[in-house]
Amino acid sequence: MIEATNIKVKIGKAAILDGVNFTAEPGKVTAIVGPNGSGKTTLLRAITDEIPWTGQISINGKSIGDYKAWELAAVRGVLPQAATLAFPFTVIEVVRMGLTSGVHGNKDGLASQALARVGLSGYEDRFFQELSGGEQQRAHLARVLCQVWEPVLDRQPRWLLLDEPVASLDIGHQLLIMRCLQDYARRGGGVIAVMHDLNLTAMVADAVTIVARGRVVAQGGVQDVLNDQSLSSAYDCTLRTNTPPISDMRYVLPQAAETAGS
Amino acid sequence: MTVADNLTIPIQREDRRVKARRAHIWLAALLAVTAILSLATGPTGTSLWGALGKLITGEELTTMERVVLWDIRLPRLILGMVIGASLAVSGAVMQGLFRNPLADPGLVGVGAGAGLGAIVAIVLGALLPIWLRDIVGNYLVSFSAFFGGWLSTIILYRVSTRRGQTSVATMLLAGIALGALAGAVSGILVYMADDQQLRDLTFWGMGSLAGATWAKVIVAAPLIGIAVVASFFLGQGLNGLALGEATAAHLGISVQRLKSAAIMIVAGATGAAVAVSGGIGFIGIVVPHLLRLATGPDHDTLLPNAALLGATLLLGADIISRLIIAPAELPIGIVTAVLGAPVFLWILLRRRGLVEF
Repeated sequence: MIEATNIKVKIGKAAILDGVNFTAEPGKVTAIVGPNGSGKTTLLRAITDEIPWTGQISINGKSIGDYKAWELAAVRGVLPQAATLAFPFTVIEVVRMGLTSGVHGNKDGLASQALARVGLSGYEDRFFQELSGGEQQRAHLARVLCQVWEPVLDRQPRWLLLDEPVASLDIGHQLLIMRCLQDYARRGGGVIAVMHDLNLTAMVADAVTIVARGRVVAQGGVQDVLNDQSLSSAYDCTLRTNTPPISDMRYVLPQAAETAGS
Repeated sequence: MTVADNLTIPIQREDRRVKARRAHIWLAALLAVTAILSLATGPTGTSLWGALGKLITGEELTTMERVVLWDIRLPRLILGMVIGASLAVSGAVMQGLFRNPLADPGLVGVGAGAGLGAIVAIVLGALLPIWLRDIVGNYLVSFSAFFGGWLSTIILYRVSTRRGQTSVATMLLAGIALGALAGAVSGILVYMADDQQLRDLTFWGMGSLAGATWAKVIVAAPLIGIAVVASFFLGQGLNGLALGEATAAHLGISVQRLKSAAIMIVAGATGAAVAVSGGIGFIGIVVPHLLRLATGPDHDTLLPNAALLGATLLLGADIISRLIIAPAELPIGIVTAVLGAPVFLWILLRRRGLVEF
């Protein structure tokens, strides 16, 4: 369980997050959605302790302040929105950076396995900086997967904390990565992903948190949270959700202003 | 098989880790050969082999042989090795810390501080009472340079550290300001200096191993040795830092501890090196760059290889500096600059895509 209570983040004088409560359970893909500048990335960055925050954040029942840096690294992997890289490392060298001291067994095999998982087999010896944006993002995800490869370690769930993991991917790779995240959760790990694509979120998320104007405005299962009213109010535009008759999968359609029925 | 067939075969890159580890052995062998050459070369024509032969047969060495080999060439060899290693390793660590292949120890203010320290000692040392000058003698410049280097690094570190976080960007900017200030103070002292002092200053700035003595070896070598070996433990951390500070922290690296360790190591190693040998440029940029091209940027192997190659290149430059205008000596800083500057320029142009080789 990851629990964040009364999280406040200020940048300068502006309150980016204003008393946010957030929980994520292991075994589930939890999506954080919301409009640009709503504070969803800030919430993730508070949970990963990247920025100064106040409140309470605990991972698996232990306050994150009580973890040592390497203990935290063993319990959760973090994928930032944009990670840069200095120096001409190859793809496999970047992925191996995720193999921190907590990983045992065949380290090289693990890095290649992780690359296969994100659809980058055969890219091992390519220079990272020569990859396309989407490929770089998947390579970084492979690095993060390596870091917390087993979803459960010592009977404690491990966590993937991802900021827009599929933002620059084509639709095929979006599905591949989302299935990979679902699989991680099914095997007992926890996944928290800041998401932009509401339909993809509806398809794979088990729980959704909507952040708007620095506050959590809705939290719960996909069917409960992704509805016309909460989405339209959060995104400040008219949105219609629907469920096709042959499945229970929710989808969201934007409504151009002039044709909006309501 | 035709030439065309050969060209179409995909280049299978050998695992660079294997290559880099094998390079440890090659570079160590190269260093050993250069070290022997360095011992065997000099303007006096004293033969290393003759002396070794005598040692084996139990014959007495001549005084000349003992003085030249034991008191002149051997301390010079050791000092050259540790200083070369220190410059190259400091360069590699700074580049890792600043995530920039053009960074060098000058960025933490060691160079400016040490330079000012040396000038203060050379110019104001003359004002000391004679008895004190007799005691501190030749070491005054070295100690003052070392002290200056440390002091400026500590000031920079303090200025750029807020709430336990060191800002590398602030350090860079403050370093430029501090460097300008040190330059101005140096300028005033240079203005005050007499002709002999000006000459000393100029030669100090060019760098030299000519003043190598056992006393200098005993003072500088352990400090540099500890700093260089300590740097080998920063490899993983610096690799992680290549992904940025935040990501490095997510990987479990204690970024702040890494930064302070890196800065202290560089200040110690460079401070001691500059103090005993003066300003020797370009080794710190050229060596890590060549190694990154050859075996990749992995700091775990880069740092030990940089130590070996840096030591080898400085010894090589020292041999050239001793032979090229023998029996006189060219300051070694000139040799490294003449060899290093074109390479540095090539790095810059290549980075901007202006040359393709």
